[in-house]
Amino acid sequence: VNPAFLEVLRPFLKYAAGRPVLPGDSLRDLGLDSMREIELLFAIEDTYGITLPDELLTDTTFATAGKLWSVIAELGARQGVELA
Amino acid sequence: MTFPGLADVVAAAERESAKADETGEFPVATLAALRASGLLGLLVPAGFGGAGGSPADMADVTAQLARADLSVALIFAMHCQQVATIVRYAGDELRAELLPALGRGELYLASVTTQRGSGGGLLSSEEPVRAEGDLLVIDRDAPIVTGGTHADGFLLTMLAPGATTPNQVSLVYAGRDQLEVEVLGDWQALGMRATDSVPMRLSGSVPARQVVGEPGGFRSIVTAVFGPMAHLGWAAAWLGAAAGALSRVIGYLRSAEGRRRFNPQSELLLTRLALVRARLDTVHSLLRHTLDVVEQAPDMSVPPVQLLVNALKTVAAQECFQAVHELVEIVGLQHGYLRGSPLYLERVFRDLRSASLNYANERLYLVNGSLTLLDREVRLA
Repeated sequence: VNPAFLEVLRPFLKYAAGRPVLPGDSLRDLGLDSMREIELLFAIEDTYGITLPDELLTDTTFATAGKLWSVIAELGARQGVELA
Repeated sequence: MTFPGLADVVAAAERESAKADETGEFPVATLAALRASGLLGLLVPAGFGGAGGSPADMADVTAQLARADLSVALIFAMHCQQVATIVRYAGDELRAELLPALGRGELYLASVTTQRGSGGGLLSSEEPVRAEGDLLVIDRDAPIVTGGTHADGFLLTMLAPGATTPNQVSLVYAGRDQLEVEVLGDWQALGMRATDSVPMRLSGSVPARQVVGEPGGFRSIVTAVFGPMAHLGWAAAWLGAAAGALSRVIGYLRSAEGRRRFNPQSELLLTRLALVRARLDTVHSLLRHTLDVVEQAPDMSVPPVQLLVNALKTVAAQECFQAVHELVEIVGLQHGYLRGSPLYLERVFRDLRSASLNYANERLYLVNGSLTLLDREVRLA
């Protein structure tokens, strides 16, 4: 997982203050809910210049930091975007 | 599916409901009839001695009960929500212990998911369960427990042992005989009075195998079973209550007294009746469609399915209450507002006023607003 990505996530995880966010951590456990999910989606799309298609917006995609990063990386490759 | 025994339960509810509403006492004779009917085992698979019923069967029975008494229907629907959760998520040992008795319809289960300060929020907890060896030590303050004084067992949400965030919530089964049960107050409510939803303190210890689903994993249970079963059950209950009210009003309008007082050619009367009926047909079709989607959806977490399941709850709450509000307007003071009318609209009106508050519509609108933004293509489930 891109370490910078973990910092992209942090503002949307209300229970992550003062602790590291690890790739295997459950984002739901760390406080991601549907109201924050839309803000996180905007942040991902702005940061990486990719578009997450509606059908990928499932609990599985947002399960862990690692899972979400793997979805972003795959979309970046498919959409021809160089991820920072 | 036909439901032998349902007529007896409905009859018991009809006998007991006025007094239960008056005194705010749990309808014990109706619960006894429910136990005797086997209907408490409706959702238990046939292999464990249950009826192997579907969510649609649960909705049908719930709506029939609600025509007589909405409190009884809610008690039944919430029990079914607990049973469906145990069937799907309990470990083998716990299933083997509970399902035969549940299948015989002997056990009545209550749910302990509210906590002080949470505003009904299901997914986080500040009520920790402590692990001591293989035991989980429970000490749970529960502000609202529907049927808590008469339940044989409870499903409780607790913060998982060793949880590092408030969202790591476990669902734990505890039998009444495993707990000390203290009733902390009474239930003085506007409506739904027979649910006797008292504040309680539950303490005791249970083996760790009585965690239902993964430790800390209640959220995925809510998405897959607990949430949908609640919304389906509530919607069926509210629809049944409003349908029963409309049926009694039509019976009255067609009676000798009704025909003296109401003109069936009145355009105002006909328009009002049409609007009430349309509200019920709207909720009914939404309920049937949601049942189909829930029974077939491979992933309940996708926004179109979540949106539909939540909209069923908010729309049913609003439309069923509004329908009864309009029925009160149609029949007027004597049969719409006074206690003691055989139409008992005033009781149904008070009962249905709870619908928008019972897991607050306002909370679900915020969730559904966010989910709507996530579904750019607007894929209607």
